[in-house]
Amino acid sequence: MLSESDKATYEWQLDVPGFGESGQARLRQSTALVSRIGGLGGPVAFSLAAAGIGKLILAHAGDLRPDDLNRQILMRHEDLGKPRVESARKTLQSFNPDIEVEIVPENFSEENASRLVDKADIVFDCAPLFEERLLMNRECVRRRIPLIDCAMFSLEGRVIPIVPGQTPCLACLYPEIPPHWKRRFPVIGAVSALVAQIGALEGIKLLAGMDGVCLNQMIYIDASTMRTRKIDIVRRDDCAVCRGV
Amino acid sequence: MALTVSYTGQLSEATGVTEEAVQIAGGERLAGLIATLGEKHGEKFSELLLDDSGNLRSTVLVVLDGSQATGDLDSILLDDVQDLMLMTPIAGG
Ligand SMILES: [Zn+2]
Repeated sequence: MLSESDKATYEWQLDVPGFGESGQARLRQSTALVSRIGGLGGPVAFSLAAAGIGKLILAHAGDLRPDDLNRQILMRHEDLGKPRVESARKTLQSFNPDIEVEIVPENFSEENASRLVDKADIVFDCAPLFEERLLMNRECVRRRIPLIDCAMFSLEGRVIPIVPGQTPCLACLYPEIPPHWKRRFPVIGAVSALVAQIGALEGIKLLAGMDGVCLNQMIYIDASTMRTRKIDIVRRDDCAVCRGV
Repeated sequence: MALTVSYTGQLSEATGVTEEAVQIAGGERLAGLIATLGEKHGEKFSELLLDDSGNLRSTVLVVLDGSQATGDLDSILLDDVQDLMLMTPIAGG
């Protein structure tokens, strides 16, 4: 059952076919972990907050820098030099005070993997390093928790909705750390935000029990031409992470 | 036969294009095409796709007409393929 306050806030989206009050209620009871809240994770968290998720856990280490501000839309200029997660929480809570926001000033690691994923119903992977991504994948597969893996580079991006046991996992596609990937990547904030919205929507569909989640597919967008493709992807029989799941 | 080859991520940076039309002969396999394209696009292109032994890197995705192909370079036949994507991994946030 939705509260009167929830009905008042979300009534326009209750009209969306396949979503409705039951989808809203499911979303309201859900907790999402967003790992890194930069150019991708920030807009993911923003849209989940707008949609009325119950709780967000935001994990990201470090303080806000000037060169974050071309894409990290949860941040505020006045917070330069302060922890990113605190700036993000302030923005989200002023936007939607009815959702719970927990902040963790750490990046995903072996030390916190279990603790972070433990409380989540879904994980949004928006980290810039494959080390973190593959670790998150491993933890989500182990716990059978859906993972929405979002990534971008320059004018392109891709989203892979991962449901352990049903779809390829990230290690099926990338069984080792790609040797050429660099921490610094070309980025315009609008491209990150575009990819983030695809990821947020796939997560919302999954949590709300809607049809049409792109399982066993990678959604790929080339923003230089605005061509979007859905690529059929396959599980690796010998995947070290999801074999037998 | 004409084939459209598209490149993503750092591969697109290495070639300077996101896609190009390529003529191939019947019976062409991915190994042969990558060797030809490597001569055209240079060392960085080949390095992103192939390991020191000349095998396709495990983190490169090959997509034929919208579906991920599996197998090694010599087993992937390009007959009847119209659209080939070579995808190097991306992880930007
Ligand atoms: Zn796997």
